[in-house]
Formats: sequence, structure tokens, C-alpha cells
Amino acid sequence: MITVLFFGKLAEIAGAKAELQAVASTDELLEQLRLQYPALAAEKYIVAVDKKTITGNTSLTDHCTVALLPPFSGG
Amino acid sequence: MDATTTNRIMERKPKNIFTQGAIDPAFIAESIAKHSTKTDIGGHSIFLGQVRADVIDDKKVAAIEYTAYEELALEKMHIIREEIFSKYELTCMHVHHSLGKVAAGEICLFVFTSSAHRRAAIDACNEVVERIKTELPVWGKELFEDETHQWKVNR
Repeated sequence: MITVLFFGKLAEIAGAKAELQAVASTDELLEQLRLQYPALAAEKYIVAVDKKTITGNTSLTDHCTVALLPPFSGG
Repeated sequence: MDATTTNRIMERKPKNIFTQGAIDPAFIAESIAKHSTKTDIGGHSIFLGQVRADVIDDKKVAAIEYTAYEELALEKMHIIREEIFSKYELTCMHVHHSLGKVAAGEICLFVFTSSAHRRAAIDACNEVVERIKTELPVWGKELFEDETHQWKVNR
């Protein structure tokens, strides 16, 4: 099972947390999420797998945590 | 190991920077006062972020509600801290960031650096503030007086 965390505005669209079964890669995961939450397509975000930000498609294993991070606005 | 080195290593352990709600000015004053025993310090630099009551389309910001990916933010802050200590001759550094709701006019960020000579404290403080704003996974939701909201964008 893959845990997906949503933050900031994205949590309003998809909720704070989702659990997905049997997704092999981040591309596949994002594709599934976009189908489930069409509003995500209009949003900017970066992706972190197990707290490491990724730049391209990344393979996922069971128990991975994937986080979708919109532009930061702390301080 | 001398006391200064021990202190610096103590400063470098991962710390929780998050405080629920606004940062109390009395806490800031206390934090300054605690440094009177560290007599190798010659200069402090402090940045205080305050929630601004921006007016957007005739609606005024009443508060900002902060959320964070806390685990990742603390890991990232630890790396920033390490890099700042290796770049600048600092005696110590303290960072506090609010989570949850902070009303307009209240303090939401407190960065405090100290060094033997002013330049290191000033430059380190500026760099830490910039890096917090761009690198920490923290989000601010601007809450308007009419209970609508928009997501804050850092400039």
C-alpha cells in the first residue's frame, strides 16, 4: 500500500491523506490521482517520495509515502 | 572539549522549531535575556515575521493559519542549520515558526543568531530567513474577516 499526503491547497482538493494499492511508479500514481481529483491538474506541486523530492518518474515499493507539495509559503 | 564547542554541538542537534499559535513577545525577551551568560557574544541579529493585514479585493486578512509537512521541515531545517554553522562563525542560532492560527499583528517567525562580531550574526540571520521561506514545506492560509480564505504566496 502507498500512502499519499496532500498539503496546503492540495489537501482542500483531495483531503490530507489517501491510500492506494498497487501503483508501480510516481507517474502511474499521479495519473490515478488526476483521474480521481481532476482539480489537481490545474495545481503546481513538487513530489517527495519518503521525504526526498524527486524530479522524474520514480518507482514505488509497498509502504512508500508520497507527498504532494504545493509552493511553500512559510514565514 | 571546551564549553564553546560543547554549546555549538548542543545547538546542532535536531530541534523542533514549531510552536502552536503566535510567538509570544515575552518568550522573545526571555530568549534574549538568556544570552547574558554567553559573554563571548558581541552581537545578536533578530528577525521577527509579523502577520500583515493585507487588503485584497476589499477583504482584510484577519489571520494566517500555518500547516507544515513537519517531519520533512524539521529534517530540512536541520540541514540548513548545519550549513549555516559551517558557513558563519556563529555562537548560537534559534528558530521558531508558528503552526495553526496567528492573528494579524502577531509574530509568526522568530530567527535569532549570535556571534562574536556583528557581521556573521547579521548575514546568517538574513540567509536563514530566506532559506526558511523558500525551502521549508510550510504553507500559510490567509483567513479573511468574512471567513473566506486564500493561499499565501511568498514573494
